[in-house]
Amino acid sequence: MSASPRRSSSPLGLGIFVAASLLTACRGGTGTPAFSGAPAPVPNVVVLIVDAGPTAAAGAVNHAYVTVNVCASGSQTQCANIDHVLLDTGSNGLRLVASVLAAHKIALTPLSDAAGNTLEECMSFVGGQTWGPVALADVHLAGETATKLPVQVMNDTSSGAPPPATCGANGTLINGVSGFAANGVLGIGVFEQDCGQSCVAPATPLPLYYGCTAAGACAAANVPLTDQVTNPVALFAADNNGVVVTLPNLQSANGDPSVQGTLVFGIATQPDNSLPSSGITVLGTDAAGDFRTAYNGAATGIAALIDSGTDSYAFSDPSIAVCASGAFVGYYCPAVAPLSLSAVNTGVGANATSSTVDFALADPNSFVAGATAFIDLGGGGGSATFTWGMPFFYGRAIYVGFDQRPAGLYTGPYYAY
Amino acid sequence: MALRIIKLGFFALGLALAFDPAALASLGGDAASIDADAAMMRGTQITRLSPAYTVREIAGESSMDIHEFSNGRGVVFAVSWSGPVFPDLRLLLGSYFGRYTDALATLDHAGVHRSVRIASPEIVVESSGHLRAYHGLAYLPSELPTGVKSTELQ
Repeated sequence: MSASPRRSSSPLGLGIFVAASLLTACRGGTGTPAFSGAPAPVPNVVVLIVDAGPTAAAGAVNHAYVTVNVCASGSQTQCANIDHVLLDTGSNGLRLVASVLAAHKIALTPLSDAAGNTLEECMSFVGGQTWGPVALADVHLAGETATKLPVQVMNDTSSGAPPPATCGANGTLINGVSGFAANGVLGIGVFEQDCGQSCVAPATPLPLYYGCTAAGACAAANVPLTDQVTNPVALFAADNNGVVVTLPNLQSANGDPSVQGTLVFGIATQPDNSLPSSGITVLGTDAAGDFRTAYNGAATGIAALIDSGTDSYAFSDPSIAVCASGAFVGYYCPAVAPLSLSAVNTGVGANATSSTVDFALADPNSFVAGATAFIDLGGGGGSATFTWGMPFFYGRAIYVGFDQRPAGLYTGPYYAY
Repeated sequence: MALRIIKLGFFALGLALAFDPAALASLGGDAASIDADAAMMRGTQITRLSPAYTVREIAGESSMDIHEFSNGRGVVFAVSWSGPVFPDLRLLLGSYFGRYTDALATLDHAGVHRSVRIASPEIVVESSGHLRAYHGLAYLPSELPTGVKSTELQ
């Protein structure tokens, strides 16, 4: 790691972005800036890559990854570029696998709760839960910095506290690189904190954050907003009102080996993240982060989100066959493919627009072995949520507008496309 | 259908019960297991009666809303949940919890699995959502009352 982590770019390189590289060159020089007038904006673009995942856990499908520069809080030397961090528009906050940090010789010091006990979190991803302490880090993405960012260190055996009985017992913990097919999760959803006000002062603390004694006894604890696991983009000095996720259309209906896109910080803050004034659908969300989707002619919608952390269109339709064999067990295997489907998205609150989305499901048995990006992948899911996963991102720019942060004509929380 | 709603006036005592998932099994259990669940979750209960089944609603302190459905034989054949944090599925699924986790482990492709549907002849579990809004339903197909569809269990 170089001595100036703030200027380090991802190993994937930002050079393909002409504007970003020009700005980098400008900022990297010494002496008088080349341009007069307003200060040059910071580089705000990092590369997104969809590939097979970290070496230790290859085999991912439809996972979009970024490289995150992480430093121990206040350190200029205890820093590393951590690759294959899963971009997740459905959660908030950065979570890193402890063994990956340790391999980079980064030791993050856990925070304490109000009683002086180690602050730990049991975060649930539905398919499993993750356990570990909350610690401060300085995080750099392109030219942006989030200092003293509370992050979760997942599966940190050095903190001494095992998870309480209610957290992921009996095989439902997904703590490690192989469980996530990622070295961490970068949650850049619509909120600043993962829990928010609900975890600050209820009479009985929610079973999410815990204070753990040195002896390893843990009890649910209330946590101020400033100590909760936090969306790093919300802490940037600028470009902190949302993100734009852009991925190209895929070349093959049966899967592409790998694709690259961009994660742009800020909405309507720089020329590269403008929000179009027409032709865009802005879907406001409720206080939980959901808009509504009415699937297949349903009279009323169910909770819905646009989620890069989900590898498929995930929803419940018992009339569509589910793959019982092959490499996609549990995903949809329509009898006649492609299966054309439709749903209506409607925003909540001030941004209550509607938009009809036509989409299709492929038969995963026709997918090419070794490909990692699939445009028409559907997954059987819960009946109470419609999850517009990664297939929805291909060929679109998806805007994630943060809660209470104005961006042009709109104020979050919203998803837009 | 016309539902009669009976408020049981259940207590919120905050009892410190010893935790024994097997003894507190809800799915497949009887009404006593629901009382035990309500005590564990320090919740209040409301009972609704429909022609085909009884619904007990447990509103817990964590804004968790649990519905437990009993059939004519008194067997809890379904449980649904909705709330800002993930419920303790060991408590709600009882003796079926192991089958659920075994099935989760067989899913292809690692990831966060934010929306899952586990279906077997014995048990169906649908679970989805994210922090601030989780939703789910688990039911025993063989114990569903005649004519009752899973889609009405909410």
